[in-house]
Amino acid sequence: MISLQKLTKTFGRQTAVDALSLEIPAGQIVGFLGPNGAGKSTTLKMLTGILTPTSGTASICGFNLLDDTIEVKRRVGFVPESGAVFESLTGLEYLEMVAALYAIPAEAAQARIRQFISFFDLSFETLTDKLLGAYSKGMRRKVVITAALLHNPPVVFFDEPLDGLDANAAVGFKALIQTLAHEGKTIVYSSHILDVVERVCDRVIIIDKGRLVLDGRPDELVAAHGSGTLERLFTQLTGGTELEQRAQDFAKTFRP
Amino acid sequence: MSAPAIVPPPPPSPGPAPSPKKALHKLFLTLFLRGRSARGLQKQGAPQSVGSKLALTLVIYAAVGLSAFAFLRKPVFALSLYLHATTLFFLGMFVAASSGEVLFNRDEADILLHRPVTPQALLWAKIGVLVQVSLWLAGAFNLGGFVAGVGASDGGWLYPIAHLVSTVLEAMFCAGGVVTVYQLCLRWFGRERLDSLMTLAQVMVGIAAVLGGQIPQLLARFQGKIDFNVHSWWICLLPPAWFAGLDDVIAGSRSASSGLLAIVGLIVTAVILWLAFEKLAKDYATGLQTMSETAGAKRPKEARRRLLDTLSNRVPLRWWLRRPVTRASFLLVAAYLMRDRDVKLRVYPGLAPMLIWPFIMLIQDRGSARASGVSALSGFSVAFTGIFLGMIPLLAIDLLRYSQQWQAADLFRVAPVEGPGPFCDGTRRAVLLVLTLPLLVGVVLLISLLGRANAHLPLLLPGIIALPLYAMLGCLRGNAVPFSLPSEEAKSAGRGLKMIGIMMASGLLAVAATLCWNYGFFKWLLLGEVFVVAGLYLPLRASLTSSRWTSLE
Repeated sequence: MISLQKLTKTFGRQTAVDALSLEIPAGQIVGFLGPNGAGKSTTLKMLTGILTPTSGTASICGFNLLDDTIEVKRRVGFVPESGAVFESLTGLEYLEMVAALYAIPAEAAQARIRQFISFFDLSFETLTDKLLGAYSKGMRRKVVITAALLHNPPVVFFDEPLDGLDANAAVGFKALIQTLAHEGKTIVYSSHILDVVERVCDRVIIIDKGRLVLDGRPDELVAAHGSGTLERLFTQLTGGTELEQRAQDFAKTFRP
Repeated sequence: MSAPAIVPPPPPSPGPAPSPKKALHKLFLTLFLRGRSARGLQKQGAPQSVGSKLALTLVIYAAVGLSAFAFLRKPVFALSLYLHATTLFFLGMFVAASSGEVLFNRDEADILLHRPVTPQALLWAKIGVLVQVSLWLAGAFNLGGFVAGVGASDGGWLYPIAHLVSTVLEAMFCAGGVVTVYQLCLRWFGRERLDSLMTLAQVMVGIAAVLGGQIPQLLARFQGKIDFNVHSWWICLLPPAWFAGLDDVIAGSRSASSGLLAIVGLIVTAVILWLAFEKLAKDYATGLQTMSETAGAKRPKEARRRLLDTLSNRVPLRWWLRRPVTRASFLLVAAYLMRDRDVKLRVYPGLAPMLIWPFIMLIQDRGSARASGVSALSGFSVAFTGIFLGMIPLLAIDLLRYSQQWQAADLFRVAPVEGPGPFCDGTRRAVLLVLTLPLLVGVVLLISLLGRANAHLPLLLPGIIALPLYAMLGCLRGNAVPFSLPSEEAKSAGRGLKMIGIMMASGLLAVAATLCWNYGFFKWLLLGEVFVVAGLYLPLRASLTSSRWTSLE
């Protein structure tokens, strides 16, 4: 479903993603992890056509990212980390605009939007009367997730999707992506909340400094490294040593 | 939260598929009229910020456009040249100031670039909106001209139609020209320097618009000395003349020269549109991608930061910025004036067309002085320059209130500071030091170069003495908190009119200063001004210091 071949992105002298090669089959939920600046968001932006790779390529649903960019975009949903929206549109105006970009007929779009409203417990009045700038962070995130799934894409990229969602919405969302994966959709899930990744994902890919560090099932990886949890494994692999001691030392500096 | 539901595939075909192009056009027009940011707003309250300003601007443009009736019974070409030159000035100012925000918006990459739309479609939709709003402005200004053209000496009922066509072409020429400038900059200089280049491009377009707007004055000034008519060979170098030629060939003299000008206009517009939307469209896509790059393409210039830090830590700046909040605000504004794309794109292109005026006036004055065998500049141009530059802080402080990161300014309210005064004070000081002082030095040098042993240099003093007062006026009621308002509220359709207002006020004050100079009252004028400025400055400063935060609704 998703295939990366030596995908590389450089900014000047800095290499953000370094010859990344991967294969992700349909129906899998992949946790895409890495420390800050590891190249996760840059990789996702390349795979969604926002950034052009410096070298290498990728294909999604059989379409080459460089040659058939628009076809790739039709088959991809993306929830960016920024959660950016056009704040001066109402939620409904925003979703209708997104639907029009995918050429979804107005009636079908309305029906789909109502399904999401119902799922996310949003009120239709809020969606029609309030501008997105007035939404809470969680409500805005729900609209962004709706906008990513509105065209029913076979591949969805989530970059910190739970950011701002309350506990109930987060539980519902996790169940939603698991069900979507069972239906054959491929989910790439980038997050720093590692216990969620451990519970939800079938597979974990850890990158650091733009390079692949580890790839496998979370339980198998944790067992193989004897780290106990995915969080500990992550800190071992990405250089997060003596974090607790450093935190204690730092906290002591606040003593009067 | 309801139980998780599977999203079903789209129904077969319950209606016609909407056009993504139309959706994009509707989107960008809505964003233009409402602005891109909103906080706590209901839908009904949104459009008032920009839409109502635009409506007022259109009414004022229509009123200014009544000046076309001065061309009744004059040839169509003269009327059209005036209308197109002035329209080009207004549109150039508008497009130059708005295009950066419309064409390159940082958030937009995350929202739109992963959707199935091409960069060309985005570009067309955005330019469509710029052209549409340009046409509203041009239509308002040219309303009087449509009627006046019917009464021109060689005009007739065809004139409104011809002028409508030529005005549409002119709007497309203007918008396409700005896009082409951006794209050429991207192609030649690379995306790493996009921010600086966009600022430079907008500054250049703004200056070109002002210079283009000088054509009516040239017309008046050189009437009789230069053969300023449709048959002059050099007139084909002036873009407004191309569109005036189109009017003239359809609804005026119908001469071969007009036809030639019209053909030049059509060809140049077609070439510019082809360059903008076909040949160079890939460079636009590159520019859009640059906006979404999180990794810094280029390291910030540390030397600049060091310079600011060093200067602010030394006397006299250390004393001038001794209050920590004022100092922090000063450093913030100074840093943004040097580094921030959004602020640079607003402030410098907003100021450049204003700043070019004193230079035009001084250089024209020098030309007149040479013609009459005098070595010095006239007092009026020097006084005008001083007073005009004195007003720059007013506009700069106003422009610095806006930012795409306006919500970050909540930090100022959260900080343990009682009111906005120290933040405004820091802005005021940054504008005076970083923008106004270098300009004043430049003007003094220019005047010294233009007029040998210029005895009129003291005429700059009325403007310089009033500087602190003008800067303080910009901070009234604590309204100058830096970067605290959404950038859309700075929509600049009315900037041309603001500029005319400031010019008129500067002109009147300069006349008063020149009269006092000529009749020997200049010292008394300065003394009186010092008292008036001090008398107003001190209470205004006290009022700013005691201002308190208002509730943020």
